[in-house]
Amino acid sequence: MKKFLFVTAAAALAMVGCSDSGASGGGEEFPQKNLEVVAPASPGGGWDLTARSVQKLLQDNDLVEENITVSNKPGGGGEVGWKYLQGQDAHTLAVNSSLVLTNELLGSSELTYEDFTPLATLATEWQSLAVAPDSEYQSLEDLMNQMKKDPSSINIGVGPALGNDDHLSLVQAAKEFGVDPKKLNFLVYEGGGDVVTALLGGHVDVVTTSLSEVKEQHLADKVNILAVSSSERLEELDDVPTYKEQGVDMEFPHWRGIMGPPDMTEEEIAFWDEKLGAMVETDQWNEVMENNDWSGFYKNSEETQQFMEEQHELYTTLVEESGMAK
Amino acid sequence: MDAFLEGLMTSLQPINIMWIVIGGFLGTVVGMLPGLGPATAVAVLIPVTFGMDPVSALILMAAIYYGAMYGGSRSSILLNTPGDGSAIAATFDGYPMAQKGLAGQAMALSAVASFIGGIMATAGFIILAKPLSEFALKFGPAEYFLLMLLTLSAIISLSTGRMVKGFIAMFIGLFLATIGVDTQSGVYRFTFGIPHLSEGLEFLIVIIGIYAVGEVLYNFMNIDDDHKKEKKKVGKIWFTKEQWDRSKWPILRNGPLGFIIGVLPGAGGSIASMLSYTTEKQLSKHPEEFGKGAPEGLAAPESSNNAASVGALIPLLTMGIPGSGTTAVMLGALIMLGIRPGPLLFENQPEMVWTLVNSMFVGNIALLIINILLVGLLVKILDTPAKVLYPIIIMLAFIGTYTLGYSTVDFFLLLVFGYFGLVLKILDFPIAPLILAVIVGGDMEQNFRMALTSSQGSASIFYGSPVAVGLIVLTALSLCYPLIIKAFKRRKQQTE
Amino acid sequence: MKLFKIGMPVFLIALSIVCFFASLNLPRANLGNANGPIYFPVGISIFLFIFSVIYLVQEIKSLHDINEKISELFSGRTPLLVIATLVLGAIYALIFESVGFLVSTIIFLGLLLFLVNGPKKWLVNISVTLVFSFLSWYAFSELLGVSLP
Repeated sequence: MKKFLFVTAAAALAMVGCSDSGASGGGEEFPQKNLEVVAPASPGGGWDLTARSVQKLLQDNDLVEENITVSNKPGGGGEVGWKYLQGQDAHTLAVNSSLVLTNELLGSSELTYEDFTPLATLATEWQSLAVAPDSEYQSLEDLMNQMKKDPSSINIGVGPALGNDDHLSLVQAAKEFGVDPKKLNFLVYEGGGDVVTALLGGHVDVVTTSLSEVKEQHLADKVNILAVSSSERLEELDDVPTYKEQGVDMEFPHWRGIMGPPDMTEEEIAFWDEKLGAMVETDQWNEVMENNDWSGFYKNSEETQQFMEEQHELYTTLVEESGMAK
Repeated sequence: MDAFLEGLMTSLQPINIMWIVIGGFLGTVVGMLPGLGPATAVAVLIPVTFGMDPVSALILMAAIYYGAMYGGSRSSILLNTPGDGSAIAATFDGYPMAQKGLAGQAMALSAVASFIGGIMATAGFIILAKPLSEFALKFGPAEYFLLMLLTLSAIISLSTGRMVKGFIAMFIGLFLATIGVDTQSGVYRFTFGIPHLSEGLEFLIVIIGIYAVGEVLYNFMNIDDDHKKEKKKVGKIWFTKEQWDRSKWPILRNGPLGFIIGVLPGAGGSIASMLSYTTEKQLSKHPEEFGKGAPEGLAAPESSNNAASVGALIPLLTMGIPGSGTTAVMLGALIMLGIRPGPLLFENQPEMVWTLVNSMFVGNIALLIINILLVGLLVKILDTPAKVLYPIIIMLAFIGTYTLGYSTVDFFLLLVFGYFGLVLKILDFPIAPLILAVIVGGDMEQNFRMALTSSQGSASIFYGSPVAVGLIVLTALSLCYPLIIKAFKRRKQQTE
Repeated sequence: MKLFKIGMPVFLIALSIVCFFASLNLPRANLGNANGPIYFPVGISIFLFIFSVIYLVQEIKSLHDINEKISELFSGRTPLLVIATLVLGAIYALIFESVGFLVSTIIFLGLLLFLVNGPKKWLVNISVTLVFSFLSWYAFSELLGVSLP
């Protein structure tokens, strides 16, 4: 699900970038040929759908005149697609997410964000912590106190892999409460959907997952969301408190963005800034975000560069504390 | 009830019937091609569905999905190369039937079996969607582990007379399944630094390699020997009354079985069809005919895997939980269209759910007709000279493989497994235990370890629930049943 | 022939030993049970070893039974066809991305057809190659939107 969102966002971005070229190109001769958006995943996943949304939005809104293709390069949690991007010129973009940081920190890749040109952060999802409605833990504090007392007494559902945002957001929160994240009992499921099934069936006590996985269940009173990682309460879920309200100073976005190959010229970066900036202003982009339960989180290339540096620092600490560091 | 009738009317609109037929036909075609499955077909159609009416898009995707179940067995029957995990069981008796010149009858029978399975499951959907989704929740890690154990033991019990080879094949498959990142700990196992392997070995590559490439290499053995293969007769395209009499109860029994297994997220058509096959073999009065072209051995898994595909839609629509690769892609596509499957879908958009259900009735009828009409065309494949057909199959195997991972690394894996498949066939190893072990091995290990983690290491979790105990009993039965039967027969002979 | 019959179990035994030690050498987990990742592969290797030994014993007992299929494998054109297919497949894999789908497929399918079907039927071979290469390229790339090189 998360990947899906991410991909959609990236796709949307790519489309924006393309459409402007004809109109505003002016003296610049970029782009000179067809454009490519790399989805480092198989068709149908989150990244693929982000890429395809970007493709569609950029073309439908005439932001880019050139043809845009989406190519799927799955494997290694983005590694294969990004490696491919490294060898391309500025006509190729790729969707990304925090995996571009964590892959390196977890030791599964040599590549990191510095090997690419950040172009934009498109949107974000928020993380959530949820329990069964009849759980004995009715607040974040109840849960954290029990985790502090006996970290292994609580089975936590997470998926599809340790070291992802679901896992690390809980690590950050747990640390604030003085819980040792290394001692927690994680059950790793195949994906967000399976995690929720496990919670509904009573096979785990609590799940940490993206909000979209549990939102419907919460509205139907099948689960109880204890905390959401946004800074302020969300409109559709105004009964769910944020982490901040409950004494944890954190905002944890699960963002998706888009990046280009290394060594792009200023003109090329400016081109994409303009196109992607225009794309996120369109109504269709709002619709894409709404359908996917994303929140607007647009940052241009410069802001994204800075954001990536902050994120890199944060993730380095979190991965260290989670016990997953290579 | 009103919503139900409204749904029926919507699904009978000409435009929707058109989508059903297109989807069903497309599903049949992609199901036939090795590697290309419904998941890929749905995924590549997502951009097309962007502009569509959400209801039509849902109908279209569902039609592709169950259409592929019809198509999957065509290549199993004709060429001994299943297009997907759920079509493996169709090779056991479908291919021997084709070799006897009964290809047309086999395909007609499998189409009818699929149809009945699909219709039964759709009816089951209407009555049982809610309670079954509750039942599926009872399956925790321990229960899933036991279900997979049951499947593997059932398959081992199939390899009568070559048990040792069956076990070896299974353990090789299980070992292959450990390749990739270990989910529970994040440790990399046997990836040799190839990023492409970190997500594990794609089981479809193993299937395509061993079945499609391996089968072609195997057939090279007497390719120049024209005397051995007298022209295969295609036979009638409709099955006989005797075949039908043998198949009708297996079809009716295994539709519900497949449906229930399909509802369990993660279980799916491969497990359903395999369990159906072994069940029928064990219940049969002449188990010795299984594997040699017994019509019920083809009909039972066909009914079952189609029912399973309908069952898998239940957790998707009632809880928003995808139970298989294809339903996961469908979930993604539905979200793009602004439909959020989940507990509120039935309350907020009942007409959408009932339209889908009714479209499945219409769709199964359409698919039955499509597939019966195709029989006459497909048997022509057998008329193609083998020397032309085999290179084409090899090429299709490569392209299918490429669409799975978009990497030529997979081509080498394909060749390795092709050669491996050839050796296994020559030495008379059973293939199914290996493939099934690759399919379920990773989940089996993961569920085993999750079960122990959640119980703080206590093994009691494996017999702590009624479902778990039931599965243990079934596993024991499936292993001991052949022995019991043998003893029983022996005694009977003695008394005679 | 006898070598081939004994070869498989011996290969399997060797494989299981390699797997066993490779499994023992896997990295340990940082979280949870440190040995968690190795239990399954180690256990599987042990079982594979046991069953391979039983298999070896069975084969030695039946060493003199003739397996017709093995002799067929080494007769006529079979070894040539098998090896050539594997080699062509490997070449196909190597040139697929650099040369592009259409060209590499035409070369691969064409050579395979000439090899299997014989050069005498060159007309059939060439037409089948061209028709199927274009058809599959069109179907996958254009109709299904699969990104081919």
